[in-house]
Amino acid sequence: MSLFRYANSIYGGSDTLIGANYGLLPWFALAGVALAIAHAVFKAVTAADKPR
Amino acid sequence: MTSGSAPVERIQRHKSIDRAYHWLMAVSVLVLLLTAFLPILGIKFEWVGIHWVTGLVLTVIVLMHIIRATIWQNFWAMMIDSTDLKAPFGKPGKYSLAQKLYHLAISVLILAVIATGLLMWRKVDTPFWQRDPYWLSTENWGLVYAAHGLVAMALVTMIIIHVYFALRPDEWHLTRSMLRGWITRKEYQDHHDPRRWAAKD
Repeated sequence: MSLFRYANSIYGGSDTLIGANYGLLPWFALAGVALAIAHAVFKAVTAADKPR
Repeated sequence: MTSGSAPVERIQRHKSIDRAYHWLMAVSVLVLLLTAFLPILGIKFEWVGIHWVTGLVLTVIVLMHIIRATIWQNFWAMMIDSTDLKAPFGKPGKYSLAQKLYHLAISVLILAVIATGLLMWRKVDTPFWQRDPYWLSTENWGLVYAAHGLVAMALVTMIIIHVYFALRPDEWHLTRSMLRGWITRKEYQDHHDPRRWAAKD
């Protein structure tokens, strides 16, 4: 999946960059959720390893 | 001021002006993201006016924060220093290495989104001017729009991470300090190195 969106050039040349690909928005959100879950799991595991 | 019978000593962490800045920035960024992404997700409304006015508010408060941090606050408290690198998981001063890295990343993203947003403002009719879509070439507008969009999506990732840490029980004293301004002396002693952050009561 491309990072960018392109439009066909009206002059028949190469495609023109018009912006970011907003189809990636769920992936950016998922990256945040994944990092949060990874950190929570890491903290839970390291807390369980610590002597009480 | 008391918990049970013993008085709880409070140490100021954030002044009211800094808390106001934080929450005003949070509201501005949320409004900007909602007005940007809700129409893309299919919820259509007149978003352009709200978006550029809120963007202007964000620009002004960020400018004020930079001036305040440079002149009136300890600018270096937020900068990564050699002690952070030597002992990244040791007791920090006022801010930990992770907080400094987060602040650095969010600063770069916010400054980038403001810079590109100000350029895009030229394509919007405002009380100050009429839109001029030919102010930049098509290729350069494409770069500006792409940078603005990618940074905005990266901000979604950063905000999710920020909210996660704010809600963690072991970080709750920091969230409370951003709401009410203070941490307790015990929290100060448990989480901070007094040689690196000489907090005042």
